[in-house]
Amino acid sequence: MKYILMMNATKANWEDFAKWTKEDLQRNVAFMRTFSKELKDKGIFVGTEGLGWPNEAKLVRAGKDGQPITDGIFPESKEFLAGYWIIDVESPEEAYRIAARVSAAPGRGGAPGNIPIEVRQVLKGFTDLGI
Amino acid sequence: MKYILLMSGSKAGVDSYLAWTPQDRDAHMAILHKINRELTESGEFIATQGLTGPSEAKLVRGEKNGLPVTDGVFPEAKEFLLGFWIVDVATPERAYAIAGKISAAPGPNGAPTNMPIEVRQFASYSK
Repeated sequence: MKYILMMNATKANWEDFAKWTKEDLQRNVAFMRTFSKELKDKGIFVGTEGLGWPNEAKLVRAGKDGQPITDGIFPESKEFLAGYWIIDVESPEEAYRIAARVSAAPGRGGAPGNIPIEVRQVLKGFTDLGI
Repeated sequence: MKYILLMSGSKAGVDSYLAWTPQDRDAHMAILHKINRELTESGEFIATQGLTGPSEAKLVRGEKNGLPVTDGVFPEAKEFLLGFWIVDVATPERAYAIAGKISAAPGPNGAPTNMPIEVRQFASYSK
């Protein structure tokens, strides 16, 4: 069963993250590297990526003439994807356990960030949606 | 430049999608498959994935007594990721053009869905 673990953050969260000390950032990145390595060692790693800053995000809609219409304005309350992990595990419980570990990644001053991690199973086919 | 194109929707949006006729759904999927084939042929395709419905989503925070703390309650207004495409393109404009095609995929009765597609570049620090 493949699951995606998503770390989402509002603009305020991103702005706060930008103010972390170099030491805090290094500690967090070191944790993430070890975490990815552990997933690989267990054979459950599929992929991980971090995303660029939300101020560079664009919302695209189809225009009438086939040209994309882009918009760069988002509500303050919108949650932006900050990064994700895709894992291949035996049960949802295993996905939740792994998500809890990411949630506990060190934040400011080395204290656990306790960032909420959204856990979703990825589709194998549309039968998964019951349609 | 690697970009991720994110298609998101609220619970209400997912419910209305589930009520589409099979014909509308097939027509929509046919265009999405065609876009995937075109991206594969142009060498820009990296990956695509759909997600299961938001009713199964869980929010996990930390641990208590060694167990993950899970929550399945979400505000009605929350946008859930429905699916994504990862593309490797020469310019941001090309990423927007691909997102435009996805947004133009047909919905009920063949009219374009005009779903907003969020376009984000991957961070270079991710590896």
